[in-house]
Amino acid sequence: MRWAGFVAMKVWQALVRIRLSVSTCMAALMVGWLAGTALAAPIQVTDDRGVVVTLAQPPQRIVSLLPSLTETVCDLGHCVRLVGVDRYSTYPASVTQLPQVGGGLDPNIEAIVALKPDLVLMATSSRSAQRLESLGVKIMALEPRSHADVQRVLLKLGQVLVVPNAQFIWRNIDLATTAAAQSLPKGLGATRVYFEVNSGPYGAGESSFIGETLTRLGVKNILPASLGPFPKVNPEFVVRANPDLIMVGQRSADGMAQRPGWSGMRAIREQRVCVFTTAESDVLVRPGPRMAEGARLMARCLASKARGATP
Amino acid sequence: MDSTALKASNIRARLGNTEILHDLSLDLPAGRWTSIVGPNGAGKSTLLKVLAGLLTHHGEVTLLGQPLRSYTARARAQRLSWLGQNETAADDLTVWDVAMLGRLPHQAWLAGPSDLDRAAVETALKSTQAWDWRARSLGQLSGGERQRVLLARALAVQAQVLLMDEPLANLDPPHQADWLGVVRCLQEVGVTVVSVLHEISMALHADEMVIMAQGRITHQGACVDLTTHRALEQVFDHRISIHPLANQWVALPSLPA
Amino acid sequence: MNLRQASVLGWVLLGLALLWVGLGVSVGSAGFENLLRPLLDPQAAPEQRAMAQQIFFDIRLPRTLGAWAAGALLGLAGALAQGLFRNPLADPFLLGSASGASLGVALMLAVMGGPGSVLASMMGSGAGFTVFGTGWLVRLGLTGAAFAGAVLAVLLTLMLSSGVQHTVRLLLAGVVVGVVLGALSHLVLLWSPESLQAMQVFMLGSTAFVGWTACWLMLGVWGLALVSGGLLARLLDGLSLGEATARSLGLPLAPMRLALIAVLALATGAAVAQTGLIAFVGLAAPHVVRSLVKTTHIRLLLLSSLMGGVLLMAADTLARWLIAPQELPVGVLTAVLGGGYLLWRMQRGRQLGG
Repeated sequence: MRWAGFVAMKVWQALVRIRLSVSTCMAALMVGWLAGTALAAPIQVTDDRGVVVTLAQPPQRIVSLLPSLTETVCDLGHCVRLVGVDRYSTYPASVTQLPQVGGGLDPNIEAIVALKPDLVLMATSSRSAQRLESLGVKIMALEPRSHADVQRVLLKLGQVLVVPNAQFIWRNIDLATTAAAQSLPKGLGATRVYFEVNSGPYGAGESSFIGETLTRLGVKNILPASLGPFPKVNPEFVVRANPDLIMVGQRSADGMAQRPGWSGMRAIREQRVCVFTTAESDVLVRPGPRMAEGARLMARCLASKARGATP
Repeated sequence: MDSTALKASNIRARLGNTEILHDLSLDLPAGRWTSIVGPNGAGKSTLLKVLAGLLTHHGEVTLLGQPLRSYTARARAQRLSWLGQNETAADDLTVWDVAMLGRLPHQAWLAGPSDLDRAAVETALKSTQAWDWRARSLGQLSGGERQRVLLARALAVQAQVLLMDEPLANLDPPHQADWLGVVRCLQEVGVTVVSVLHEISMALHADEMVIMAQGRITHQGACVDLTTHRALEQVFDHRISIHPLANQWVALPSLPA
Repeated sequence: MNLRQASVLGWVLLGLALLWVGLGVSVGSAGFENLLRPLLDPQAAPEQRAMAQQIFFDIRLPRTLGAWAAGALLGLAGALAQGLFRNPLADPFLLGSASGASLGVALMLAVMGGPGSVLASMMGSGAGFTVFGTGWLVRLGLTGAAFAGAVLAVLLTLMLSSGVQHTVRLLLAGVVVGVVLGALSHLVLLWSPESLQAMQVFMLGSTAFVGWTACWLMLGVWGLALVSGGLLARLLDGLSLGEATARSLGLPLAPMRLALIAVLALATGAAVAQTGLIAFVGLAAPHVVRSLVKTTHIRLLLLSSLMGGVLLMAADTLARWLIAPQELPVGVLTAVLGGGYLLWRMQRGRQLGG
């Protein structure tokens, strides 16, 4: 009698063991299947036009028509995936070896299509999106204009390229920018700056990207936000505002002191003018991942030339 | 007074690629009124331009005994006045200003109008009955009034030789009669008048007539001569006939029988 | 008579000019703002007075006078063009001479400008061979280049239209030359990107950096052009009767025409080199004068000049005032006003074409 109970118990244990292994198998299979689906899930990102861009897998061949987007892709570590850039993308040096497909506003449609890209990145202000889409090319329109935009674009492209640490990259940039601001001596908070973008004269107002960097550095802008991002001002306005420091690109720096009435300005008299080279101007103007470097350039300028600064 | 005011020898002239005047020779007596007539396309306006020195040509033109080429532009302009056909005119100039332009050959470069100039303009405008509206601008005038002002401009030059191309365009009969009177007055002071006219009856009032066809002169003779009349009828394919009427010769269209 | 009417108009325009200069120097980056008090008040703070003086004498006065001078040059050029080509639609723009002038400026900048060029090293740093430079050498050089360009353009137009008889052909030739030379300027600028930015602003027309150098230069050229034009005014009168009649009156057409083209190019070039491309002033000024008085060219040239000066000064003041402290490009304002005027004229049924 006891012998039957022992056999039944053994049979019962064996059955349980089989059941367990079956369910383990099934569970394993299920997990595997779910994981597989997750990996094969399409990427869906809404671009700046409000269009949802769907990609079955991360793009392997990318054409970028905006320098800040080029730099963002490279900063996310996927520079190798770029197969074509616009003529204004100059950083990092490796992209200058890539085929150039025209400019952001006047891209060479044929050249782009010939490169067989999986994704073309362009500004929202470019009119060639529809043309390219009708030829079967996938477009993503992103146009970073402010500091917040840099983060947004970085994260979006991080999503597209499946870069898990995009948020970390952004934090680094943000911290570096703050560090640049903190590197400035305390007394410079009252410095009033005029940043000239172009002879015209066109200045960078508070609401522009450059203006935001200046604000983060803790200095004031003589062009208030009410004038818009890049107002064409009466040169008399600049003279009357009498900025403490002038920042200008090399191209429009020539002859500034000779402009009627400008020689009397404090900044000109005391030689508090920072002239940025073309390469430096590119860094300052582009709302992209080099934003911290731009902040550092401006901080360096302020530290050496602003009033109350020790050179 | 039988000297020749204008003499043309072996004139060949072309407009564009077409030769218009074929080896023409012509003597225009001084102090006389010659009218040039002929069918359309005969080259009458071209001939007049050649005589005025306004067109390049082969052959010689002599003005008052000297070759036309030997005159300076200004000297020629002082002796020869030309009135063109369908002249464009600045609508914004006043009648007086337009007439004063006729004095340009006589005025020193920077001088204003002299008394002599003013007198000449006054005479010219009065003789064409345009004096009363000398302050009006040309654009405000009718076709006939404008023609009278342009005529006055040509008269104001007070040149010894006056060449006119279709001077009666747009003029109504009273003003045509006035024009006749002006020409007669000019003749009395010894001015040589040459006019291209398509109004044959008017042309027959002249002293001499030159008949042209297809770039050649077919006849030159006095207007009172019957041979001239026959030549005239012939050049117009006998579609006109000349008849005497009330002391004048008139050309009437001959209707098909 | 008309002489009196013309004199009255002349004095009225001069008076308007003076008045508007007063207005022009009162408009600045803060809109309408009279500077007399800080200037004249003996109790004003010296810092304030120095600032007011600087703004008044260094910035606003040369700019306002410069706008008048440029307008006077363009008005004169327009009257010359309309008389020379016997066409009421002629103006320095429609004949391509303005595009020729800007091509001259662009070429000169591309060759001479930029920090690495020969001329910059000769003149030392900071003297800046840019389109906004204020040295005498710079302005004379740019004006000379603009003059050469303008002459080239007018000669090309004349060649293309083979004479001035045919109105439509003349205008077509002028438009073609203008477009081609304009495109060439853009090509030159693309090739030399240092000048590109500055030229783009310059092309729209601006008195932003007109200093005393530019001002005196324009006034000097204006005097010269007016005198030359006055000497040649007889020819323009004679031409108004048609070429054949003008020749029959003994006027030496060929050499005088060349002289008139030279004066036209000089006036256009001087204006374009200092203030950029400003349309319609040259077209509208003689028209307005002619609608008010009927007179011969010697007075028409002076009156068109005065009218052009007042028109451009008014447009410039408005451009500075409307969205102060921002500025509208003057060229845009004159195009809108001038174009509007032309449309109105056309509506009234007056014939403008030949």
